[in-house]
Order: sequence, then structure tokens, then C-alpha cells
Amino acid sequence: MSVTTDVWDVAEYAAAVRRALVGLGPEQIEDLTDDLEADLAEALADERHNAHGLGVLEQFGPPQDYAAELRSAAGLAPELVEPVHRTAREWVAEPMRAVGRGAHDVLDSLRQQSFWMPVESFLVALRPVWWIARAWVGYQVLTSLAGVSTMRWLPQGLMLWLLLGTAVLLSVQWGRGAWFRSMPLLWLAHVGNVLAVVMLLPVVASVQGQAHTWESIYDGYASGALAGNADTEVVYKDKPVDGVVVDGIQVSNLFAYDAAGNPLTDIQIFDDRGRPVRTTFDNGSGQWFFPETKEPWSFVSRADADGRQRWNVYPLKGAPTSEFTFADDGTHALTGTATPSIPPRPFAKAPALDAPAGSSVAAEAPTPSATP
Amino acid sequence: MDTTQLLKGVLDLAVLAVVSDEDGYGYDVVRRLRAAGIEEVGDASVYGTLRRLYSSGALTSYVVPSDEGPHRKYYGINAQGRAMLEAQRKDWQEFAGTMGRLLETEVVR
Repeated sequence: MSVTTDVWDVAEYAAAVRRALVGLGPEQIEDLTDDLEADLAEALADERHNAHGLGVLEQFGPPQDYAAELRSAAGLAPELVEPVHRTAREWVAEPMRAVGRGAHDVLDSLRQQSFWMPVESFLVALRPVWWIARAWVGYQVLTSLAGVSTMRWLPQGLMLWLLLGTAVLLSVQWGRGAWFRSMPLLWLAHVGNVLAVVMLLPVVASVQGQAHTWESIYDGYASGALAGNADTEVVYKDKPVDGVVVDGIQVSNLFAYDAAGNPLTDIQIFDDRGRPVRTTFDNGSGQWFFPETKEPWSFVSRADADGRQRWNVYPLKGAPTSEFTFADDGTHALTGTATPSIPPRPFAKAPALDAPAGSSVAAEAPTPSATP
Repeated sequence: MDTTQLLKGVLDLAVLAVVSDEDGYGYDVVRRLRAAGIEEVGDASVYGTLRRLYSSGALTSYVVPSDEGPHRKYYGINAQGRAMLEAQRKDWQEFAGTMGRLLETEVVR
């Protein structure tokens, strides 16, 4: 003890003993130490008489030891919590030790089972896999913290490969017991190991999620690039289940032109078996973007003479989605004042199939004035 | 041999024996034990033992006011303590006799 004996008088020593008894109830402490000052003083006087004036500390030893002796002689359980100030490291260490003890208990009970030993030796053989995995987790956490890159399964670029390589080197060397033997570094490595265990699943999940996003963006790009000249914007679907597909892309609307190239309206389309050909199946609830328009459109059906809603009458009419409201029954309907119109045509007039009107071959061709 | 280890097992008996002679307070009991030759006993061990024997009902306790110094808590033996002392004294004497005979023969051989 570096404390000089002069500093300690009987009262201070007794107070230190009481402090060291923390964990007992106040009544128990009082019970154990109510005569302490008197006993200490008398003992000290006695010993001074005999032994040339020893100090309190020299006579009785550290107050913590004195308190522990008092406590165990009185048949009270030794304290579990150290009364002295715990350092920050101990605050971290205590739960980790508790977890470690629990793990050891579990391991011990597992080792009683006959099936466990082969399993354990298999897992031990897999240890290097974990060394690589934790290095990878560390690399992912580091790069995303630094904002270096979006998360991918493997690094892109030399620098990132070097970073991952360094992480693997450190992890494997530590795993083999080659590096990190000193206590502070060992501590750091242990904390890192626990963090890697905790972070493994979140990291894998977010890398998986990002990879998925990248794939869908790529798919969208691939199909979007092909749609450069399409009449209408399309919804990207991997496999159109139904509808009209042009060049692998689902079509939202059809525009018909007569032989002279004039646009037609209210064209009914059926397939070879008499089934209506529909381009959209959202019954007006979907949003469709056209080239050069900023606002999405939604389509409406056309009622026929029998009152049936027909979706195979082209061009489908519609209006900007903002003019639609959801009715009480959940259907998507135009607001009262708005009227549906034909979306912008890809071109006002298509090339004529035949020679200009008036030529001799135009016998069966309808005249432009025949179209409404 | 470390006599403090030996003493741990028989400190109750020693304290009971001292208090049965005459009532005493904490340090007084320590002093009388030392005077009897049990030098290595720790003060705190004796105080704790007194407290424990009192809690278990083997000792009585009373406070004696003092004019010159602080009030002292005295311990005295009661019937239960006396019975305990007798039983332990018998056990100890048998044990000590056995050990004595064992060590005797060891020496002779």
C-alpha cells in the first residue's frame, strides 16, 4: 500500500471497512461494526505499547481484507461485487465472461452426449472458414462505414481487394495464434470477433438486398434500352403472363391506321379464336408512362351496346392519373367532370399502303373520308 | 504447519471457552485468546465469530456504558452456548487424543 500510515486514523480505517462491506444491509453492517472504532483504538493502544507504535494499516492490513475476514467469520457470504471502482474494461468484461461461462456450461453438457464429438471435430475443422468470413464481414462494415462503395459480395477495384486481403491476413494470423498475443490487442481482437458474429447476418442480408436491387436495375436497363422506339411506355415484367408483347416488352395500347395511313378509332381486336385481345389487365388502376409525357396515364374501358365493359377497343382512352379517384367500391374511376381522351399517338399519319388516291389500284381501299 | 488454518476449525470452540470463563467485549476476547497462546488469530475473525455465535443463539449480548471511553458491547454465554461448548469440547478432546496417538505411533515407528 502506498498510502502513508499517517493518513489513516482509526475513524478513517473503520469507515473504509464499512465501505468495503457494501452489499450487506445497513443493519448488518452496523451489527458487525458497532464497536469497531473502540476495538481498533484499544488494539492499537495495546500494540503500540508492545510494538513501538505501528500505524493502523500496518497493524490491521488493508481495510478490504479486514472487512472480508470480518464477513466470513460472521458466516456471511463473501461479496460477489468488488466494492472498489470497476474500470470500464471490467464493465465490458463481466458480461462477456458471463456469456463465456454459459457457453462453457452448454459445451460441457453437449460433450456428455455421444453424438457431439464428431460434430465438434467437424466444426473445429471448419474454423478457417470462419476466419475468412469474419474478415469479409469486417471488410463490409469498414467500407460501408467509410462510404467507399455500395455493398457487393466481392470488392471492385484493386484498393478494395487489397483491403479485403489485409483483413483476411489479420484474421487468419490471429486465428492461427500467430499474431495479437499481447493483452490489449487480444482484447481488441476478441471484441472484433464478437462484433463479427453479431454483424454477420445483417451484413449478408444487406449485401443480398443490394445485389437484388442491382439485378433489377440491370434488367430494367436491358429492357428499357430495347424500348427506345416503342410507341408507349411499358411496365417491366420478367414474363408477361397475358397481353400484347412486342420485342419482349408488354404493350399498353394499340394504334390502328387504315390503308391510306389515317388513324382509326374504336377498333375491336380479337384473336383467332374470338377472344378479346387486351393489353392492360389493371382495369384502370395502373399507371402508364408514355414517351415525352411527365404525368402517368390510366385507361378506361369502353361500354358497348349491351353495357359490357370492353377493354379490347383501341386505342384505349384514358386521362392523366391525377384526374382519377378511387370510388367507394374500390374501383379507379374518372372524376365527374373529366372526359377520357385518346393518348398521344406515335404519329398522326402512317405511311399509306397503296399509291396515292385516284390511282387505278385503289379499288377496294376505303377512302379517307370513310373514317370517322 | 500453518496454524491459522487449524485455528479456523476450532475458533468457535476457543471463543466459547474464553467467554464461558467471563463475559467480554470484542477486543477483550482477542486479548484473552492471545494471552492463552493463540497468537495468530485475527481481530476481525474474532469479532465476526462473536457476532455469528450471538446470531445463532449461543451467546447473549449487552451494552455496558462507560464513563471514560465508548460504550462496549459485552458477550456472555447462555445455556445453548454451554451445551455447544460441552459437545465441541468432547469432540475436540477425542480428535486431539486420536491425533496424539497417531502421531505417537508415527514417532515410535
